[in-house]
Amino acid sequence: MAGNKGRGRAAYTFNIEAVGFSRGEKLPDVVLKPPPLFPDTDYKPVPLKTGEGEDYMLALKQELRETMKRMPYFIETPEEKQDIERYSKRYMKVYKEEWKPDWRRLPREMMPRKKCKKADPKSKKAKDTDKGTSLANTADVLKKIEELEKRGDGEKSDEENEEKEGSKEKSKEGDDDDDDNEDAAEEEYDEEEQEEENDYINSYFEDGDDFGAESDDNMDEATY
Amino acid sequence: MTQAEIKLCSLLLKEHFGEIVEKIGVHLIRTGSQPLRVIAHDTGTSLDQVKKALCVLIQHNLVIYQVHKRGVVEYEAQCSRVLRMLRYPRYIYTTKTLYSDTGELIVEELLLNGKMTMSAVVKKVADRLTETMEDGKTMDYAEVSNTFVRLADTHFVQRCPLVPTIENSDLGPPPPAPTLVVNEKDMYLVPKLSLIGKGKRRRSSDEDAAGEPRAKRPKHTTDNKEPIPDDGIYWQANLERFHQHFRDQAIVSAVANRMDQTSSEIVRTMLRMSEITTPSSAPFTQPLSSNEIFRSLPVGYNISKQVLDQYLTLLADDPLEFVGKSGDSGGGMYVINLHKALASLATATLESVVQERFGSRCARIFRLVLQKKHLEQKQVEDFAMIPAKEAKDMLYKMLSENFISLQEIPKTPDHAPSRTFYLYTVNVLSAARMLLHRCYKSIANLIERRQFETKENKRLLEKSQRVEAIIASMQATGAEEAQLQEIEEMITAPERQQLETLKRNVNKLDASEIQVDETIFLLESYIESTMKRQ
Repeated sequence: MAGNKGRGRAAYTFNIEAVGFSRGEKLPDVVLKPPPLFPDTDYKPVPLKTGEGEDYMLALKQELRETMKRMPYFIETPEEKQDIERYSKRYMKVYKEEWKPDWRRLPREMMPRKKCKKADPKSKKAKDTDKGTSLANTADVLKKIEELEKRGDGEKSDEENEEKEGSKEKSKEGDDDDDDNEDAAEEEYDEEEQEEENDYINSYFEDGDDFGAESDDNMDEATY
Repeated sequence: MTQAEIKLCSLLLKEHFGEIVEKIGVHLIRTGSQPLRVIAHDTGTSLDQVKKALCVLIQHNLVIYQVHKRGVVEYEAQCSRVLRMLRYPRYIYTTKTLYSDTGELIVEELLLNGKMTMSAVVKKVADRLTETMEDGKTMDYAEVSNTFVRLADTHFVQRCPLVPTIENSDLGPPPPAPTLVVNEKDMYLVPKLSLIGKGKRRRSSDEDAAGEPRAKRPKHTTDNKEPIPDDGIYWQANLERFHQHFRDQAIVSAVANRMDQTSSEIVRTMLRMSEITTPSSAPFTQPLSSNEIFRSLPVGYNISKQVLDQYLTLLADDPLEFVGKSGDSGGGMYVINLHKALASLATATLESVVQERFGSRCARIFRLVLQKKHLEQKQVEDFAMIPAKEAKDMLYKMLSENFISLQEIPKTPDHAPSRTFYLYTVNVLSAARMLLHRCYKSIANLIERRQFETKENKRLLEKSQRVEAIIASMQATGAEEAQLQEIEEMITAPERQQLETLKRNVNKLDASEIQVDETIFLLESYIESTMKRQ
């Protein structure tokens, strides 16, 4: 063994013949690249099962996929405005059934908010047009969805404002609470109030940007 | 959750519910349970859209929620439930074979809508069936609800957890989210409904094409005013029960392949007898005496008691141990070893994968190692009767692909390779896990390929759809044959050929998805059953 080393032969701690290389045979090159994306297979795959059942399931699967797209549960992303409005687009729209979730089964925060505290000009406009075209239109789902989306954009900025106010109010309230706990308990339940109570989440994640930047790493460590 | 599973979930959610739901769903799968505000913030989606997406996911039982301290509601995605969407066609087809078209449509509606009240299902199914019937004929509500009751009796559909009725006393603010209660006793209890009526046909096509949304509106509102008798009682498809059925079918067909039709019929009878009495996760069925089995054999199956006993002994002696003997009372007590059966099926799957991937000689080595549990390299070469060099090559190939694992047993504490035994072994559980992971990957690949194929040919597909629509409308107005032909020629011959190829490819990819899912089912059931025993 020691002689081997002296003659410059690679020294292995084990008998290389046991792995299947005879004495003096060249070892394969070291692989330095990832395996090919579509490697050649030595054996061809067996054909798929066919039969009545398989055909029926195939048809079912394809039909199901198409049906799902027409269900009200399929939420489409708002389309980007195209430069040219296509005439055919108007006729391509699929009318979806309206879906009314059973709010009793869902957490209350899921309910779309009914009133908008600070109506910004955008949503006001939307409301006005809504009133103008009166009752027939209230049923129009598409309109409603659009309106909701518009409002959603507006709301976001509203909420940010609210949060700031909320945190101020909260600090005040905190003082009050110390003085009189009963008052807090008697407070009437209100959607807005509820949000303020939950506000600690927002302040935790949204207020301090610098905190958010390092929060991930910190949290991971904390779990240890 | 492995990356492969997350990827597959993402593809499935996108295909079924659109991009927004996919974004929220995948985020929840990655992060675990989270409150609403945090989801909206982290995904950068507007609160309204997050709400909508969560509503959809909850409706389809893909997300559950829980109230935490301080009234925060947290949402949690059910990743394994999302993957079940792959199996929807199989659930529906199974119900069709068991309960014909009516059952098929009931389950289809439940899967499409996540959960529904019984009255809504019955109405919808009756309407759909009526539409397919000849003019003048209608489907009766009573008939549909009969099928529904049968599905509930056999546990294929079950009630969703209920919202408890809260007394209307003003005891503080209502909780931020309802706590859903599962009532074990009523799980399969169908509410007494007197659903009288017949399926309605939709109005003729030209009417609803133009003014449907507006014209339909007043009718809808009057519908809604009627009090709903089973308000709040929602039903869902019981996927566990379907899986039990798939498992039983797999066992029966395995027995039929191994022995013969009669023995498979006996096993089928035994499984049917213990369907309701044995929980789906039990490793054994309840013991059944041969007398009981004899009485329960399907009528028209003419085998004598002696023949039955012979078959049972034969089954119990089989080395695969699908059927075991648990006692001698009552003419012999027999059980079906469900865990063993699943293990055998999973092992057979592994063997056949090795055979198809590496060839029959590798499969021989694989089976050898499986059988002898632990083997040294030299022993493998000798027992398999394959030249040493080739045997080594095959062994290493399977080792590197993780079908076979290596166990070191050092003779001295220094782990010196020259003084160590290297034993090759097959760890079925970890090999099954590895294969399952690969199956998820392949399905994700199949879906991506299918989407790519469709996207590549989008323009062509749209054109052919338009042409078909024109032809259909012209046929309705009674156009001449020549005119129709002219329009049909708008799609040129090469285009037609391209469409054919596309269709063939998509069909192949879709069929593969369904069949890979069958393997997934087997491997998952095996892993689940093994984990429960440990």
